[in-house]
Amino acid sequence: MTAQHQSNPAMHSAPEHVALPAPTAWPAVLALGLTLMAAGLLSTNIVSVVGIALSLVAGVGWARQVLPHDRHEMVAVSAAPVQIATPHRKVTRMAAVQAAPHRARLPLEIYPISAGIKGGLAGGVAMAVLAMFYGIVSHGSIWYPINLLGAIVYEHIDVSTAQVEAFHIELLLVATVLHLATSVLVGLLYGAILPMLARRPILLGGVFAPLVWTGFLHSILDIVDPILNQRIDWWWFLASQIGFGIVAGLVVVRQVRIPTWQYPLAARAGVETPGMMDEENNHS
Amino acid sequence: MAIPKSSRGVVSEWLFTADHKKIGLMYIVYSLLFLVIMGIEAILMRIQLAHPHASFMSPQAFNRLFTLHGTTGVFFVAMPILFGFGNYLVPLMIGARDMAFPRLNAFSFWMTAFGGFVLYASFFAGGSFLQGGSAPDVGWFAYAPLTSTTYSPGHSTDYWTLSILLAGVGSVGGAVNFIATILCMRCPGMTLGRMPLLAWMNLVMGGLVLVTISPLTAAQIMLMVDRYMSGHFFDTAAGGSVVMWMHFFWIFGHPEVYVLIIPCFAFVSEIVPVFSRKAMFGYPAMVAASVGIGFVSLGVWAHHMYTVGMPSYGNAFFVLTTMIVGVPTGIKIFNWLATMWGGKIRFATPMLFCTGFLFQFLIAGLTGIMLATAPFDWQLSNSYFVVAHFHYVIVGGILFTIFAAFYYWFPKMTGRMLNETLGKWHFWIMVIGFHLTFDFMHIPGLLGMPRRVYTYEPGRGWETWNLLSSIGVVFQAAAVLIFVYNMIQSYFKGAPAGNDPWDAWTLEWATTSPPPDYNFAAIPEVRSRRPLWDIKHPEDPDWKYE
Repeated sequence: MTAQHQSNPAMHSAPEHVALPAPTAWPAVLALGLTLMAAGLLSTNIVSVVGIALSLVAGVGWARQVLPHDRHEMVAVSAAPVQIATPHRKVTRMAAVQAAPHRARLPLEIYPISAGIKGGLAGGVAMAVLAMFYGIVSHGSIWYPINLLGAIVYEHIDVSTAQVEAFHIELLLVATVLHLATSVLVGLLYGAILPMLARRPILLGGVFAPLVWTGFLHSILDIVDPILNQRIDWWWFLASQIGFGIVAGLVVVRQVRIPTWQYPLAARAGVETPGMMDEENNHS
Repeated sequence: MAIPKSSRGVVSEWLFTADHKKIGLMYIVYSLLFLVIMGIEAILMRIQLAHPHASFMSPQAFNRLFTLHGTTGVFFVAMPILFGFGNYLVPLMIGARDMAFPRLNAFSFWMTAFGGFVLYASFFAGGSFLQGGSAPDVGWFAYAPLTSTTYSPGHSTDYWTLSILLAGVGSVGGAVNFIATILCMRCPGMTLGRMPLLAWMNLVMGGLVLVTISPLTAAQIMLMVDRYMSGHFFDTAAGGSVVMWMHFFWIFGHPEVYVLIIPCFAFVSEIVPVFSRKAMFGYPAMVAASVGIGFVSLGVWAHHMYTVGMPSYGNAFFVLTTMIVGVPTGIKIFNWLATMWGGKIRFATPMLFCTGFLFQFLIAGLTGIMLATAPFDWQLSNSYFVVAHFHYVIVGGILFTIFAAFYYWFPKMTGRMLNETLGKWHFWIMVIGFHLTFDFMHIPGLLGMPRRVYTYEPGRGWETWNLLSSIGVVFQAAAVLIFVYNMIQSYFKGAPAGNDPWDAWTLEWATTSPPPDYNFAAIPEVRSRRPLWDIKHPEDPDWKYE
C-alpha cells in the first residue's frame, strides 16, 4: 500500500496573525429583548417594557461594535503545517477516453429531436382522423370526440348527448391545444425510446404501448372521472391510440439517425472507476 | 479595530461567540436537546395508542403532545440542526474564515433558541403542569377556526404563534447569511461550478427559507391581529376565510419539507462519493435538480388541500406540479446510485445511514406520489397513512441522513472518532425500529384510522398495527440512547481522528480536527471540485479533466 503525503501548499504563505470578529454579547441580548417584548403579550406589560429597554441597549451596543469599523481580535496562526495524506493506492482513469470507442449500453445511433416532433404531429393527425371517423360513424358528428377531449378540463360534463355532438368553439380550441401538446410530447418519447427497442420497434411502440396505456386509463378513469368514462368507447379509443403509435413510429424510423458519442458515461463524466479497469501498479 | 485575543471563560467563549463553528455546534446541541424532548413526546403518544381505549393520558394532554411534537420536530429540531451543520461546514467547505455576517449569525441562533424556550414555557404557564399547563393544542399546522379565541381561549395558541415568529426571524437571518456567504466568500478558484454540493444545496435552502418564511410570518401576524385586535382574517362568519390560513400555511409548509430535505441531500452527496471512492456522478445534474426542486416546490402547496373543494383545474394543477417535483428528486436518486455503481464501497456507519436513506426516501417518495393524486388523497387525507408517509420523509429521510452527518463530521468537529461498533448497533436497531413503526403505520391509515385521535374502538383491525408501531418506538428510543452514549463516550475517549480520517476530498478535511478559530492559516486556492484529491494526487489531478 502506498501512501501519499502532502502538506497543504496554501500553508506556505500563512500570515502570523488572522483578524476575526470579536465575541460580543449584544446579539444574544437583542434576541432576549425581542423575546421579552413578545412574551409581554403572554404575561404583563412590564415584561414587554423590559424587553424594549433591552432591545434598545443591545441595538446601540451592537452598532458600536461595527461602527465606524468592525471590532476584530487578532488570533495567532499555528506554525505547524497541516498534513494531508491518503492511504489509498493511486487509481488511473478510464482508458476509454483515449482508446477506441466501445459501446456499453447506449444505442449506437439515435434519432434527432426533430424526428420525434414530426412523428408526434403525424401520429396526432392519424389519431384525429380516426377519432372523427368514429364520431361520424357513431354519432353523425365529428365534434363528439373533440368535445370529449376538450371537456376534461371542465368540472361538469354531465350534459346531453346532443350537446356533446354540437360544435363549441372553446372546446375545439382546448382540444386542439391538448391534442397538439400531447402528440408532440409522446412523439418525442417515441423518438427517444425507439432506438432502445432493438426488435420490432413498431410493434412494441405502435401496438404494445397503446394497449398498456389504454388498459391503464380504462382501469382508473371510472374513479378519476366517471362521467367521462361513460361516454368513451374503449375499442375506438384503443384503435386511435394504435393509429397514433403506428404512424408516429413509421415517421420516426424514416428519419436519418445520428451517431451517439460512444464513450461510456463514466468516461464522459471523467471519473475514476475502480472495478471497471486495471489499477496502477497492480496493487491489491 | 483589532485587539489581541484574550483568554475567556467557557460561558463567554461560547455564549458570546461570533465564530461560525461554535454557533453551529450550539445549534446542533440545542437541537439534540429538543430531539430528545420530541422523542419523549412520541413515546408517550405511542404508549397511549398501543391499545384501544387506553387511558394513559387525557385527550387534552394528547392534543398538546402531538402539537408540540410536530412543532418541535420541524422548527426546533430539524431546521436548527441543519442550520447548525450548515453553519459549521459551509465556510470550511468554501475556504472562508467565517460566515458573511458573524454577529447576525449569533443573533439568528439566539432568536431560534428563545423561540423554542417560549414554546416550552407554555407547559409551565397556567393550569396544572401535568395537564400540560397552557401548552398549545391546535396541531402543528393550527388550522383556523380552531385557533380563534372562541375555540382556543387563553394563551396556549399565542405561545405557538410567538415561538414560531421568533424562530422565523432567526431562520431568515440564517438564510441571509448562507446566501451571502456562499455567493460572496468563496476562496479563489472556487467557481460556482466547482462548489461542493453541500454549499449548493444550502444556497437553495437559504433561498427557499427567504421565500417561504415570509407568508408564515404574515399568517402568524394576521392570527395575532384576529386574536388581539378583533381582526377577521380567518373568521368566515365576518367575511374572512379559513382556507386563506391553509394557503398561507402550506405555501410555507410544503417547501419547508424541501428546506429540510435539501441539506440532507447535501449530506448524502458528500458522503456517498467518499465511501464509494468515486467522484459524484452527474454533478451538473445534481445542481440543476436541486435548483429545480427549489423552484417547483414553491408551486405544490395545495396538494395538502384537495379535500377543501378546489376546482378541478386547481386540483389538476397541483397534481401535476407535485408529480413534476418527483422528477429532479428521481434524478438525484439515480445519480447517487450511479456514484455507488462500480465503486469500492465501504459500509462504514455514515454510508450505512445513507444507504438506509436511499431505500426509505424512495418509499417515502412513492407514497408521496400516491398522496399527490387527488382521488387517492380524497380517500386518505387526514388518515394515519399521511402520518406514516410524512414520518417516512422526516425520520427515514431526514433523521437518517442527520445521523450519517454526525458519524461523518463528528471527527472533524471534535477530533475524535465515533465508535464504529456502537454506530452499527445504532444503525441496525434504528432500521428495525423505524420499519416496525412506520411501515405498519400505513395500514391502519388505509383501514380508515384518522390522525390525531387519542384513542380508538377495538374491532376495526387497527389494534395489531398500532401495537407494532408502538413496539417499534422502543427500538428507536434504544437506538437514540446508543447514539447519545456513543457521542458522549467518544467525545472524551474516542480514538483520535486525525485531520482527514475518511480520505475525503473537500476543504474541511484540509485543516486540523477540530479546526482552529481561523479555519485555514492561509485562504486555500482550488482548481477543481475535489481540491484534496488534487493535493493528494498531484500526478493525476482532477482539474485536468474539468
